[in-house]
Amino acid sequence: MLLRVRNLVLKEFILLFRDWLMTAFILTLPVLQLVLLARATGSRMAGRGVAVLDFSHSRASRQLVAALDVRRELNVCCYPVTLMDSHRLLERGEATLVVLIPAEFTVDIDAVARTPSVQLIVDASNRVPASNALASAREAIADFAADLAAERGLAIRPPVELRTTVRFNPTFNVKFFTVPAQVGFIVYQVTLVVASIGLARERELGTLEQLMVMPLSRVELVVGKAIPALLIGAVDFLLMLSVAVFGFHIPIRGSLWLLLALTLLFIVAQIGYGVLISGIARTQQQAILFVFVLAMVDMTFSGYLVEVEQLPVVLRAIAQVVPFHHYLTIIRGVMLKGVGMDALWSHAAAMLLIGLFVGTVAVRNLSHSLD
Amino acid sequence: MSIRRLIAVAHKEFRHIVRDARTFFLVTIAPAFLLVTLSYVFSFDVGRVDMAIRDMDGTPLSREFVASLTADGDFAVVAYVQGDAEIDRLFARDVADLVLVIPYGFADAVGAGTSAEVQCIVDGADAITASQAVGLLQGRVDAFGASLHARGTGGAARGFDVVSRAWYNETLESLVSMVPGMMAIILCMPALALALALTREKETGSFENLIVAPVRGTEYLVGKLLAYAISGTGSAILAWLVATLWFRVPFRGGFLAFLLLTADYLVASMGLSSVIANFVSNQQSAMFLILMVFFVPSFFISGLIIPVADEPIARAIACILPATHFITICRGVFLKGLGPVALWKSACILLCVGFAAQIISLGLFEKKLR
Repeated sequence: MLLRVRNLVLKEFILLFRDWLMTAFILTLPVLQLVLLARATGSRMAGRGVAVLDFSHSRASRQLVAALDVRRELNVCCYPVTLMDSHRLLERGEATLVVLIPAEFTVDIDAVARTPSVQLIVDASNRVPASNALASAREAIADFAADLAAERGLAIRPPVELRTTVRFNPTFNVKFFTVPAQVGFIVYQVTLVVASIGLARERELGTLEQLMVMPLSRVELVVGKAIPALLIGAVDFLLMLSVAVFGFHIPIRGSLWLLLALTLLFIVAQIGYGVLISGIARTQQQAILFVFVLAMVDMTFSGYLVEVEQLPVVLRAIAQVVPFHHYLTIIRGVMLKGVGMDALWSHAAAMLLIGLFVGTVAVRNLSHSLD
Repeated sequence: MSIRRLIAVAHKEFRHIVRDARTFFLVTIAPAFLLVTLSYVFSFDVGRVDMAIRDMDGTPLSREFVASLTADGDFAVVAYVQGDAEIDRLFARDVADLVLVIPYGFADAVGAGTSAEVQCIVDGADAITASQAVGLLQGRVDAFGASLHARGTGGAARGFDVVSRAWYNETLESLVSMVPGMMAIILCMPALALALALTREKETGSFENLIVAPVRGTEYLVGKLLAYAISGTGSAILAWLVATLWFRVPFRGGFLAFLLLTADYLVASMGLSSVIANFVSNQQSAMFLILMVFFVPSFFISGLIIPVADEPIARAIACILPATHFITICRGVFLKGLGPVALWKSACILLCVGFAAQIISLGLFEKKLR
């Protein structure tokens, strides 16, 4: 049996390396993509454009504008004259936030009985930057008000002060979150693509029938197809892990061996899905489009974009059968939090069960697929 | 170029799409299906912060403090912890986003008029969520402090009255901003299908039949493009119906403008995918290239979730990616009610990218055996 599987694996590798372009893609593109995405998501976000509609034209209003402009997230870019102008700026996306300072601003500051007011209008068509800009502006205005009070000797310490300690990532470095997730996602894509195409290509080119009449059992066929995908995924993972560690200085605080072992488990579970797709699809085009759909669904349920804990019970249950969801918890746990098997065993067990189940279905499904 | 031959090629390609139920589903219905799954998940993204409490004070005031933080549901208390070891375990298992520690003597310090200190320990592994959670908590703590002042200690520093309004998406809902953005991602599928259709002919050998057939290269390429552009527009309409009828995302622009700009996007994205298809000879490589250079960047650096980064390379790539512009267009048409005139910049870039890519792919295309 070993010999037969070995021959099949050899054949797969010859096929793969004969197409040198494909080999180059598989080895270089994931690394390039990781570098690009890490730089894109980890670098400082450009400050959101702020338009100031200043009806007050006073020293205080200019100080307020300066207080907004020094914030990293905000970038005062234009001074429209009318409300219509500022409307147009929001419409065209040239400004995300409009700060409206009313004419009676200074009067309100000087009068003890009155509260100065500032109006903020935000372009909420993209929610995340909108709420960030809003929060940042509110904070800047509150600080400005506190400074102003301090200047007039009104300062008192707040009754409750908050002191923050950030664990695992003291500088709030976004790369710490995105780079491990991207490593996981790219390994996910590569293994799924390689595994899902294998059988579909044989079927489309008519060579599956030849394989079927060969003295190969179904299990051997699936294993032979899975091994190249496993090796490619593992090599890509090692390449990207070294880029993450040496290029982007992401720490590995837990055990490297544990990470490698669980990554292999993840790749195996993922290959199970790949082979299943490969068995269902009639042509490579179908296999690829299936992969595309699966990749998007998996990404949504992975906890990368939306926290899984926020979902209702039914959707949280779906997330449990997505290996990528478990793997994301694992890679983040091992790399950033340095946790061991005692915290991760449930995720590892879940991946093992998924892999076994899907793999069995894939092998069983193969017999029905040649008709 | 003969229209009759063009239509013949397009017709053949249509047969390919319709013949097999699976391909038909994947090309026309899958985009709408994806929109439903993806957006449904985003509709639950309310930005709730899961908080664990370590209340060492245990006084009525400390309980009142916790209650004031959780009153409107932005913060949910998931656990009460006793010791530091438990905090580690909570973070290791991802149970809580942050832990609030109320020290001994909290109520006494507040009563005495001195400043009481509470500590917040946040899980920085997810930096974006963590910084948002801390910002939100700071606001709540300040509000609690202000309410204490109002109750009698007096002498409160007067803050400013900040009134804010969110335009185009009044309640700052994720769903409203994600659904139009997602349109760009799911409508990558026709482009992917086109690249596969082009490479399939080479791989299965049917391309040799086409070489001897009386069809010009241009007719062949445009014919394929036509078939997938039409089915792509069909799936765009389906996705539009899902967005407006199912998710009730406001649609403030014109439907015709939407269709026109969608066609613009399809031409641009298909142009790029046919250039890619030119360089590779099998479907696996085509798929791999499209996933890596097209789809994943569209998701992460086009401004769908986080704005385009302040990084020259990322900016340049974002500018070439059709998805960046189509996301702007979709949000403009859906939420801001803009038409092609106001969106001319994005529309023109798409048109330029589309035409340039089509010309390059026609120039590279050789109707002969290698």
